[in-house]
Amino acid sequence: MAEAKQQNSTMVEDFGAMVVRGINHSGRFARFQFETFLASVATCFSPKTYPLIWNQMLAIGVRSVPVVAVTGAFVGMVLAIQAYDQLAGLGIAEHLGVLINLSVVKELGPVLAAIMLAGRVGGALTAELGTMNVTEQILAVRSMGTNPIRYLVAPRLIACLFLTPFLIIYADFLGMIGGYLISVPYLGINGRAYWNFSAQGVEMWDITIGIAKGFFFGAAIAGVSCYKGFHCKEGAQGVGQACTEAFVGSFIIILAIDFVLVVIFKAIYLSMWPLQLLL
Amino acid sequence: MEDKTKNNNEIIALKGLTKRFGKTIVLNDISLSFEKGKTTVIIGPSGCGKTVLIKHIIVLLRPSSGEVYFHNQRIDDMPENKLEKVRTQMGFLFQGGALFDSFTVAENIMFPVQQHGTIKDKQKLNELVKTKLSLVGMDGFQEYYPARLSGGQKKRVALARAIALNPEVILYDEPTTGLDPIRADIINELILKMQKELGITSIVVTHDMNSASKIGDRIIMLHNGKILLEGNADTIKNSPLPQVQRFIKGEVSEKDLQSLQISFEDIKVNGKQ
Repeated sequence: MAEAKQQNSTMVEDFGAMVVRGINHSGRFARFQFETFLASVATCFSPKTYPLIWNQMLAIGVRSVPVVAVTGAFVGMVLAIQAYDQLAGLGIAEHLGVLINLSVVKELGPVLAAIMLAGRVGGALTAELGTMNVTEQILAVRSMGTNPIRYLVAPRLIACLFLTPFLIIYADFLGMIGGYLISVPYLGINGRAYWNFSAQGVEMWDITIGIAKGFFFGAAIAGVSCYKGFHCKEGAQGVGQACTEAFVGSFIIILAIDFVLVVIFKAIYLSMWPLQLLL
Repeated sequence: MEDKTKNNNEIIALKGLTKRFGKTIVLNDISLSFEKGKTTVIIGPSGCGKTVLIKHIIVLLRPSSGEVYFHNQRIDDMPENKLEKVRTQMGFLFQGGALFDSFTVAENIMFPVQQHGTIKDKQKLNELVKTKLSLVGMDGFQEYYPARLSGGQKKRVALARAIALNPEVILYDEPTTGLDPIRADIINELILKMQKELGITSIVVTHDMNSASKIGDRIIMLHNGKILLEGNADTIKNSPLPQVQRFIKGEVSEKDLQSLQISFEDIKVNGKQ
């Protein structure tokens, strides 16, 4: 009896400790993001720090083009193969263009490119900053009178924020080409009909929201990865764990943000739609 | 009158400094003052709070209670952006050097100078790097990456970086730990040189008694987060306190010895079974 009571009380204690840890953690995360935001705004207005941003843009953006493009191309190709049988059975195989291009531009291009970036860029950011953290290099930056968030995090965030939309454009573009190559030359769909239906089905709005998502995904990847790097535990295991957490965290946040954005963009679209008719 | 002169020479003061991590008290009500141009050595066994103490002097850690003063100005409650200026007047030598491994030696030393925009001209920057490296006997290593340097060389480059902004104070965190006796003595000589030639105030944290007696104008011994003893090398050597004597001679206490013996006997018993 007494033992059961004790067990209960430790369970309650554990739960309480977990809640307190959770709250502490979210508080630290929010503060870090707020400081990052302030530092990034300050960085945008100080030309002295621009070279730092260019360096990060090279590492984060330019070097990611191949993997993101390959991701996009495969998505388009797989969609074409998968959807062909259903549409051909209905006798509307020419509509494949709408299906592929709409899916790629609105959803699969942006989300899969972002996930690829979370792995490639997020992992590298966390590992780099985490190693700097455990070898006291971040503390050294602070000890020399420089704000490490301004020096290390802000350039990375800005690079991610502005280059993710561009990388999504690459993924979209290669996705379209991949879909076309499978549909028209390989499956033998009429090319003119393929593009005509695509042009009718895909609106400027669809492409815009797909690219606009990139800003949010980029910020989420940099925000989560840098935070994990700055707060990783000591040792090689600590850095490894931080990388895993950063990837899983960014992955889930990307999907959650995607869901929220889809709902918001749909509401905007529906409220703007009558206006479009007037034009 | 005497009190006034004392105040004039005081550069850093700690008042009732206490630091807790969770429930553990690491520093317990420590009050100290450091004189300008003097070398103060803080000794004590590992884990007694020495490193935590010097991190408070440059406010890399904030006290749970108590105050830190630099030039009679309270700094422990300053916001980070104001602290940046204060920190440029201090240099901190980290235990592992904490050199940026993606930068060359020269870029490491330029870093604080470029950050604070004091010198912009490329040639002048290179000259500054050369001067600072010569001071620590490392001129010619400008283009090396830290990974190619030995432990002692890393610490010397880190020292060159710490003095890049001509600070008034240098804080050394275990400068001789992990070095062979000869390399350790080079670091000792460098610390003395910084004091003699540049008039720098040094605060050194170490558990190396030889180093402490060689470089320290004043030695402070910490034990369990409190100041156990304060004085020059002789005071420490002649102290009757058992903890101090054990530390100097490098002997374990009876209690620790007993716990070791118990575990050995356990193994013997288990072995027989």
